[in-house]
Amino acid sequence: MHVYIYDDYLNKSKYSKAVNRMEIRLTDLGLNGKIIRLGGIKNIKGTIQNEIRLGAKTIVAVGNNQTVNKIIGAIIDNDIYSDFQKKTLLGIVPIGNDNSIASSFGIKNEEEACNILLARRIEKIDLGLIGDRYFLNETTIEGLGTIIDLGDYSLEVAEKGTVRIINLLSDKENLINSNPHDGLLDIIIKTKKKDQTILKLNKFIVTNATEQLLIDGVIEVKTPAEVSVDRDKVSVIVGRDRLFQ
Amino acid sequence: MFNREKKLEKFKDAETVIGASIKVKGNFHGQGNIIIEGSLEGSLKTDASIFIGEKAKVVASVEAKDLVVNGEIKGNVKIKNYLSLGGTAKISGDIHYGELSIEKGAIINGQLLFTGDQTSKKGVQENEGAELTEE
Repeated sequence: MHVYIYDDYLNKSKYSKAVNRMEIRLTDLGLNGKIIRLGGIKNIKGTIQNEIRLGAKTIVAVGNNQTVNKIIGAIIDNDIYSDFQKKTLLGIVPIGNDNSIASSFGIKNEEEACNILLARRIEKIDLGLIGDRYFLNETTIEGLGTIIDLGDYSLEVAEKGTVRIINLLSDKENLINSNPHDGLLDIIIKTKKKDQTILKLNKFIVTNATEQLLIDGVIEVKTPAEVSVDRDKVSVIVGRDRLFQ
Repeated sequence: MFNREKKLEKFKDAETVIGASIKVKGNFHGQGNIIIEGSLEGSLKTDASIFIGEKAKVVASVEAKDLVVNGEIKGNVKIKNYLSLGGTAKISGDIHYGELSIEKGAIINGQLLFTGDQTSKKGVQENEGAELTEE
């Protein structure tokens, strides 16, 4: 059984056409399922947990990056996780802006997402972890003054710029071989001097006296913070044009 | 004959690149190819190749299979196979090498010690006129 979790903002009229298109396509493909609207729910964790217990085979996030993060946070962070890992898949239907996670998985729009759900191409994906918060895409922090400490050695950024800690690559412009199931995070540091630093790391501490880490462009986390990666943490239904092998 | 362009080609796939704005402190040990354009203090080691850029400053012992130097190294250098010193290279420390190429303008302040196979081709000085000063 598919369970579709609609984010709050899809209630706005400007998204109604996209939602209708998706629902018609899902009906055509015989993929209808239960619809849960986050707008009316206070306990997301409890609701999703309950659906998994009732036998949901696929939890589909309908919305944007934040929707996906909410659902992953709800699944990973409680005792239903082992059931989810064994039985349940995560699907994504992107609607509106801010959908870099879906793009990374090769899902361009709502109609294509329905076809991808039908094809059920499954990849186990690592999740990045900062303290007790998981992230799928990436975490960023201002470059100047940032120190990445691995115990044996440390790196200090001496110029203004951006430090990106990438689990799942969301753009093709950086020609790095990023892989969300290699157990490593890709570190890309670009400074205003136009030099680039590239590293692959699995566990380190990030410190910056004045700046905070920003998870998937939304959640701020103070430093020092331990950053690591958990291998093969979620099974996701992905498109053929995903940005990784 | 040594082909410098060919030797540099493999660095295009370097897994680790330390940019010019980065300061590394400690024991930086990797497994793949490493490019250093910034500064590093401590030790630098890999089973593969290292490229030291023109503006890089490395105050560390360096161990690798191959090494191409265009910047500055203060510390001993142990290279199993091939060492190439560009015209802007400056090394203060003893150098162990298997094969060697030194471009005009490179400065070495230390001992050059051949540690490769004696029957194989010895160090090649590609261009004459490198400044060598043994301590």
